[in-house]
Amino acid sequence: MKKLIALLSVICFTAAMPAQQKETKLFPYNYAVDDLENGLRLVTIPTDFPNMVALYIVVQTGSRNEVEPGKSGYAHLFEHIMFRGSENYTSEQRDLILKKAGAESNASTNSDRTTYYETFSKEDLDPVMKLEGDRFQRLKYPEPAYKTETLAVLGEYNKNSADPTEKLDEVLHETAFTKHTYEHTTMGFLKDIQDMPNQYTYSLQFYSRFYRPEYVTIVLAGDVTRKQALGLTRKYFGEWKRGNYVPNIPAEPAQTEPRAAAVDWNSPTLPWMAIAFKAPAYSDDKKDKAALDLLAPIAFGSNSDLYQRLVLKEQKVDNLQTDFGNHPDPELFTVYARVKDPKDIDNVRDQILAAFKRFTDEMVDQTKLDATRSRIRYSFALRMNSSSAIAAALAPYIGLRRTPETINKLFALYQQITPQDIRAIARQYFTPNNRTIVTLTSNKGANN
Amino acid sequence: MRHAKCSDNHRKPASGFWLPASLLLFSTALLASPSKPASVLQPGTSPLVTFRILFTTGSAFDPPGKEGLAALTASMLAEGGTRSMSYDQIVQALYPMASSVNSQVDKEMTVFSGTTHIENLDRYYGLFRDMLLDPGFRPEDFKRLRDDAINFLKVSLREGNDEELGKEHLYNTIYAGHPYGHHNVGKVSALAKLTIDDVRSFYRGHYTGANLVIGLAGGYPNGFAERVEGDFAKLPEGPGDKRRFDNPKLSPGTHIDVITRDTRSTAISLGFPIEVNRAAKDWPALALVASYFGQHRSSNSYLYQRLREARGLNYGDYAYVEYFPRGMFQMTPDPNLGRQQQIFQIWIRPVEAENGVFALRAALFEFDKLVRDGISQEAFETTREFMTKFANVLTQTQSARLGYALDGRYYGIPDYNSYLKTQLSKLTLADVNAMIRRHLRTGRMRIAVVTRNGAAFRDAIVKNTPSPITYNSPKPKEIMDEDKIIQAYKVNARPEDVVIVPVAQIFE
Repeated sequence: MKKLIALLSVICFTAAMPAQQKETKLFPYNYAVDDLENGLRLVTIPTDFPNMVALYIVVQTGSRNEVEPGKSGYAHLFEHIMFRGSENYTSEQRDLILKKAGAESNASTNSDRTTYYETFSKEDLDPVMKLEGDRFQRLKYPEPAYKTETLAVLGEYNKNSADPTEKLDEVLHETAFTKHTYEHTTMGFLKDIQDMPNQYTYSLQFYSRFYRPEYVTIVLAGDVTRKQALGLTRKYFGEWKRGNYVPNIPAEPAQTEPRAAAVDWNSPTLPWMAIAFKAPAYSDDKKDKAALDLLAPIAFGSNSDLYQRLVLKEQKVDNLQTDFGNHPDPELFTVYARVKDPKDIDNVRDQILAAFKRFTDEMVDQTKLDATRSRIRYSFALRMNSSSAIAAALAPYIGLRRTPETINKLFALYQQITPQDIRAIARQYFTPNNRTIVTLTSNKGANN
Repeated sequence: MRHAKCSDNHRKPASGFWLPASLLLFSTALLASPSKPASVLQPGTSPLVTFRILFTTGSAFDPPGKEGLAALTASMLAEGGTRSMSYDQIVQALYPMASSVNSQVDKEMTVFSGTTHIENLDRYYGLFRDMLLDPGFRPEDFKRLRDDAINFLKVSLREGNDEELGKEHLYNTIYAGHPYGHHNVGKVSALAKLTIDDVRSFYRGHYTGANLVIGLAGGYPNGFAERVEGDFAKLPEGPGDKRRFDNPKLSPGTHIDVITRDTRSTAISLGFPIEVNRAAKDWPALALVASYFGQHRSSNSYLYQRLREARGLNYGDYAYVEYFPRGMFQMTPDPNLGRQQQIFQIWIRPVEAENGVFALRAALFEFDKLVRDGISQEAFETTREFMTKFANVLTQTQSARLGYALDGRYYGIPDYNSYLKTQLSKLTLADVNAMIRRHLRTGRMRIAVVTRNGAAFRDAIVKNTPSPITYNSPKPKEIMDEDKIIQAYKVNARPEDVVIVPVAQIFE
């Protein structure tokens, strides 16, 4: 057993936190990282919240890993299949154990990771870890159960399908990406979902490729010690065999022209638009992503000039949002807007484009930059209001770098970013040839 | 000196005629200390400070023809300017703190909530206080927020979210002609006619000391609670919104509204009023039944296992004894949705259109079975164990604990976790099955369906056409045999009670 990192002593939040320590660490909890020989990693975060434990198991597999044509949506399908029973527990037995633990239990998938989580009373930690160890190593699902679960996935597509923004996002990614797997959404293409019942054998292969210790990090936060967490992880995950599959995820070629698409929506809606630019991947040491992270709220957030004009003063838009997630590969910096009157679509598009252009010419105001750094710090602190919330806040970063320390490195990087950096990086990315615009309008009118 | 955990004494719920405990307490509080607002205080050591400023008023107090006024008034406070600051200035001021002021309006409760870091407490509270006590009622805010309300109903809900559409329409149908009978956000036609003067008038009449309960939690300093209480004591005392809301008078039989719109799948909600809320002694037993039958977003429940796990009909199937809005986005309910009247509700998430009638029949079949057979000893014990522990999950955060304490004050029950645990520990299987027989009566069932071919759906129901289902994999004999019963299961609705409703009429 190799112990990678010893305990790091960092600040705990207290009401009397000295001012000079404010900027030191964004993730304030003591934590321990332990690596098993098979490649599995454990992150333990003892907290002051009593009695409860949050167990988050992060698999570095999402729709990004779905490289074969016709096989979109399988990372998400697995999020479902993992509840269908394992060698030593039927799904009914599994349900019963979690029910007796009073657990909140669920899972989620995105383009880059699948996260399984349970929050429950600390006395149930052993049986829950045992249960999880079994399904991660010995998932067992007969073909009929597999086929039935594919229908639940179709049901999930159905429940989402009334929402026009789901379609907007689908078309945005199809248009912006031509090679990289970010071309498809996490749900996958409808035709692939409808074909899932016929792909039982492929599903077994998918599990065997990605449900391996080197892809997985266990996060335990709450009323738990490192010793206890490590003991249970060794006991229930120690025999897990390392895999050897590495997907060949195609790089997206440089975009060489502006792209656009239009969606004709079948029921009444207000028009939506998505204006996106190819954007940098997550990094905690290169400035590109961090600089644009800081720019996003300054240019498009609720205190931006654009928001104040479009939403509060002119009132042409009732919903203006930015999506600029952290991804291992370059993805998109997207501004979404819902336009209140279809006649304003062109004007709103032009105003959003002008805001992108503005920050390639002008430097951001230093006061706003400082206010944004403050906002990031407090928003993180406000989120971490339970053991479950701490683990949930951590999970995306675990999916990227497998350590909480990346959060602190990123926050330190934010401190170094200057207005000049932001302008230079905005110039690099916000070019017409990097751009995709998708509009969604209804052939039934704005509303009825 | 720190404050006591809760500044009010709780009263046992009155039997028979029931009013929220907060209203019963009002008179004694007034006699004892006319200027001191009611409060629920939970001081602690967290660096975060949580506010929940509750007014026991809401959309049930919308004047007829002005449906939406309570919600618009709340949003004018939480998303509008004060007399001294425009809303864009407030947004700028809140930005570096990463805090916000949120409002939630239900039938009998309006709550303003927010959390801030102790380092920003003074600045944040100054904004929060002025937003609630010195509102600007500015025309530009009014126009924006009224548009938002209309677009929420007309576009987002009616045309972009079949599940929430069906659930909210079910409530409106059950409470037709009752003060609960419109969506909390209002009616489209009434919103269009509201004025700023209406908002001012609602604010003056309902944002009163008599309706106010101050909720504070976290590491706020000594003297802070007194400061907040002193500031809010400036509200006029007012008479308070004391009103008894009766169980709705519904005609007997099953009534079905088939909402027709161009959509891929079919969403189904069904339910009926119950005479039990959290204050009632029967509530823990009935809540246990709902958890067993359809715990929200959990695979650990009966309906989910029969419809989704065994048959792959949809994404999930749940049951409730309390209003739970926005359930598709949340794993646990928001607090401060206290109501005198509640319904028993079943939520069938969208199914493929061709399985819509089968899914409705399956839900009714399983519900009738629950009423007929009750639950087993094993199911009773495991569900009780689940609920006892799950209470800790519900109250994980400081904000949730404060919210549940405010609700406890309203219902006249002590600390939610210990109350629930104590009550559950006293229950027997016989009690629970007696509660099922007493409260789950199907004689006044209401059903809301959202589907693309309403006429075909209606036809299948009124003609009692069999609705067989096919699967993509072999099913056990037990399921196939049960399906034969379900596919012809009679939905006892008279033809005149199965009505096709164009979506454009909903929330109008």
